[in-house]
Amino acid sequence: MILAGFAAVSFPLGELAAPASALLRRNEPALRLDSGGVAVEQALVSAVVGGFRAAAADLVWLRAAGAVEERDGPTTEAMLEWVSVLDPRSLYFWLNGARIMAYDIPGWRTEAAGQTGVLRDEKAHVAQRRAAHHALRRLEEAMKFHPASAVLWIERANIELNQLGDLEAAAASYRRASEQPHAPYYAARVHGELLRRLGQKSAALAWLIQLHPQLPPGEEAAGADQVLARIRVLERELGVAPEQAYRPLTLIPPRSFLHPC
Amino acid sequence: MGRVAFSPRRLGFIALNTLREAMRERILSLLALLALIVVSGAQYLRDFHFGLPELKFIADLGLGTIAAFGTVLAVVMTAQLFFHEIEHHTVQTLLAKPVGRAEFILGKLLAVAVILGAFCGLLSVLLAGVLWLRETSLLRECPEAITGGRLINYAHLAAVGLLQWLKLLVLATLTLLVASYARTPLFTMVMGFAIFVICHLQHLAQAASARAGASAVGRVTAVVARVFPDFLLFHFADSAGANEAWPWDQLGRVALYGLGYASVAGALAVFCFRRREF
Repeated sequence: MILAGFAAVSFPLGELAAPASALLRRNEPALRLDSGGVAVEQALVSAVVGGFRAAAADLVWLRAAGAVEERDGPTTEAMLEWVSVLDPRSLYFWLNGARIMAYDIPGWRTEAAGQTGVLRDEKAHVAQRRAAHHALRRLEEAMKFHPASAVLWIERANIELNQLGDLEAAAASYRRASEQPHAPYYAARVHGELLRRLGQKSAALAWLIQLHPQLPPGEEAAGADQVLARIRVLERELGVAPEQAYRPLTLIPPRSFLHPC
Repeated sequence: MGRVAFSPRRLGFIALNTLREAMRERILSLLALLALIVVSGAQYLRDFHFGLPELKFIADLGLGTIAAFGTVLAVVMTAQLFFHEIEHHTVQTLLAKPVGRAEFILGKLLAVAVILGAFCGLLSVLLAGVLWLRETSLLRECPEAITGGRLINYAHLAAVGLLQWLKLLVLATLTLLVASYARTPLFTMVMGFAIFVICHLQHLAQAASARAGASAVGRVTAVVARVFPDFLLFHFADSAGANEAWPWDQLGRVALYGLGYASVAGALAVFCFRRREF
């Protein structure tokens, strides 16, 4: 009787709440997971911790912050893992966790090892690279939950550039960042700049020329003037003839001048 | 003996008496005190100097407190308030008077709904106050970091508090349904918490049912998916993106969803209680 009663109303009530359910799936990264194991893990976390998961994750993050102050690498890494399991919705935890892994932890390990001179520098370099790869794996994990996040790609690019010195990978990551929704304007500019530094000036010029018309002229953050200035520099360096130089749309005369009465 | 005609006045008396009973229960006071301490303790997060994310931490801690303690309150208090009458044999006295079984059950439910509403309302107001104070001090400390006015939309906060109350109301009603035929309060509480877990696993049950098809696992998960409400729906706006408007249009639908399940569970509780022997 009880089961029949609920079964009778569950369909109409389910239909009533279907748009909210669709919105929930869109905004709740764990519900979009294809991987059975991770999806089950997230479901169980949600079931056990319920509406307290965000607060539980915050408390674990506070513990991680304490471990960072104590320069306790293993505890920090463990807490960062936990916080991501508890609440993968928060980009704040993923981003800052990756930064701590890439920039802070390798320095602690080098200091703890206590060597000096060349040996210390070599060990520091190895630790830095290892930590950077660890942080990149964390960001790849984050992308499963946030596949269209520009900030994750930017963070990835920064680590590849600053910690690994891999300009090519960083350029590719900045390009991926610029392709995501709500990406900051500078991601595309930096991709062009990295292409230039890699010596791919023609590719950089082509990229900036296709970028410039998309930038809103009145918006300072878009940096349309900076991009145009860079285009001119590249055209000079590549020896582009003036008649073949890029002409922004605003400099093309309106129709009335082309067809005088 | 003929069935007693339903009287909203008698229902109100039952509810009022249950409220008085609840005020005498130490668990309510203890939980309220703990919740107030935790939410107020959020003020001390400023020592960590997180800056603007501190507001998110305070909001998470406050809403998490409402969710966690509210869940315990909904299950334990509902079971206690129901079985108190049975264990003290006052229920037979009550039902011997012209008090219908439906009035008894619905009176208990009304009292629980009022208590949960007061709990969620009190803590939401307290949380809003804490957030407002901290936001004001952050605006003074670093005005250049915050452009475009205040960060927190208190109408959203109120809506989230309302959704929390709805979820707890559905949980309490389902617990009351179990209590209407269960023999012990312990069984009722255990089942109440089990229902809480199951209702958070709905999307998993739906996915498992779709994948398992007509097998035994598929049939069981299909029943779970059809019968139990999805508690994650009451958090549908928790993860709304920063670039999106708050989905006000969905609030009414989810509210009707919650009230629908609470109504059905309440009706079934009345049905089961009518057949209960003491």
